[in-house]
Amino acid sequence: MEQQLMCPKGGAGSVLNLNPGSALSIAYHTKYGPHDDILLLELDEKLLPDVTNQRVFLRGQPDEDAVLCTQSKTYAIKFVGTSNSVCLVPPSNQSEMGKELQDRAGNGCDHEAATVIKLASGSMEIVEVAPRLDKLKSLLSQAPYGIEEASEMEVEGMERDKTGLYKWDDLVNEVQASDGELRSGLQALSAVEIDGYWRIIDDSYMDMILRMLLHNSVLMDWPLNALDQDEVLGVLESDGFPRKVAHHCLSMYGDKSEEDGSKCIWKLDEKRVCVHFARNILREGKMKMEKFIEEWSRRIPPGMEASLQMLDGEVLTEKLGIDTWVRGFSVSSLPSTPSERFSILFRERPRWDWKDLQPYIRDLSIPGLSLEGLLLKYTRRVQPSPDAEPVFTAR
Amino acid sequence: MQIQLKCSCGEGNCLEWAIIELQGVVEVQPGFQDQLQDLEIGRLCRPSQDTYTFTVGYHELTGSKVPLKKPLVVLKKIKHLRMEESSDVNSSSSSEVELEVIGIIRHRILFKTRPKALISRPPPVVKERNHAEGSVASG
Repeated sequence: MEQQLMCPKGGAGSVLNLNPGSALSIAYHTKYGPHDDILLLELDEKLLPDVTNQRVFLRGQPDEDAVLCTQSKTYAIKFVGTSNSVCLVPPSNQSEMGKELQDRAGNGCDHEAATVIKLASGSMEIVEVAPRLDKLKSLLSQAPYGIEEASEMEVEGMERDKTGLYKWDDLVNEVQASDGELRSGLQALSAVEIDGYWRIIDDSYMDMILRMLLHNSVLMDWPLNALDQDEVLGVLESDGFPRKVAHHCLSMYGDKSEEDGSKCIWKLDEKRVCVHFARNILREGKMKMEKFIEEWSRRIPPGMEASLQMLDGEVLTEKLGIDTWVRGFSVSSLPSTPSERFSILFRERPRWDWKDLQPYIRDLSIPGLSLEGLLLKYTRRVQPSPDAEPVFTAR
Repeated sequence: MQIQLKCSCGEGNCLEWAIIELQGVVEVQPGFQDQLQDLEIGRLCRPSQDTYTFTVGYHELTGSKVPLKKPLVVLKKIKHLRMEESSDVNSSSSSEVELEVIGIIRHRILFKTRPKALISRPPPVVKERNHAEGSVASG
């Protein structure tokens, strides 16, 4: 401090702390130049601790626009240019060289100068965006885990083909989302980590496990609202299902209801089980409503009751003549970007009632835009008369 | 790919940089255009508590110190290449790029007025030349 007073070093400090009544020479830095490697990033004050604690990442492939991710959020990055001359003055220790030269040039210590290292052409700004999770779905869909793999014998020394398989580290390199959003994305896709790789389980294989579980519950007299984890997994394992995958089946269709040290009890979720069977039935195509209901009730395990409300966002119904037809159309198969989502919805149906539309858009979450805002942006609202139900068409 | 923002500053200790911002551009005399390094641009004065002036050649700008609404983080792109870095900024491949936080900017000295012509001939012009010549010779 003392020394600085005697022989000021210059730099940003001397600019920012210039005393009233004082003057300071401003010069180009010894290393003045374009310095394209020096970038400015505008950040909210509250994000600074994330930066200093190194919890901020830029993510994206070379052909994608990079995003900035904190632990929980994703931000788009845009460059904002300026026509002003923005002179960047680094702190003094970085202008040591320039100082030395000035000293050598005989200006001595009394010559206090701050130096400009470059002119900034602008800065990067960030805007919170929705994570780009559709890519996660397509990555994990490349190689779902199915029966072939499960029944494959583990042969020592044999390398399994790893193409289309992704570890956590691969996913953060590929998917433009924060760690937190990626974790919820994996959960939403019902992905499970098997041998270090994040996988989704093939539908038909999952169906097989669930049916086996229900079958066993009848044989063993297990109550569906109080399944003993160890018992269930033990039996499924002896039926030839890997323990990990059997456990995943419990977590997909049930919830842990109690856990006391050694024992873990699961309760199957009526809605998730029923929706599973409805999806399965409609996989082959559309059906007459009566036939569907009949088939559906037949497949549902005893003790559970199906209701059409469970199928919001899963099926569409339409009247053809006197018959009502039902057809699988699952919201989980739709893209998560609003523009793509709405374009598919309106290709499916040019006009939507609110009660039909709502289940297909309620999961859309765009920072800074409410559902109301999304509707304004992507739909036209038609209300034939004041007391009529509004109808939405494409904008 | 992902690039971690590296920061060795420690909590709240990032070195502060400054911005001196003015409208338009500083014209350099033709003879110095290729050799700006170490050349004096002008003199920054703080005649009173709230006023700053920046004298460049025969012109004086008046401005003030303004806090930025949001701080700017100064990042340095570091490329780990064995060879000399390639001229194309975008051609570098993934894992070799690092971004390091080297500073933070919270204030700028902003001159948004038109320059006022000074009547008397200020000494910096002469000095500018001397200084520049000196540096060329010593460099």
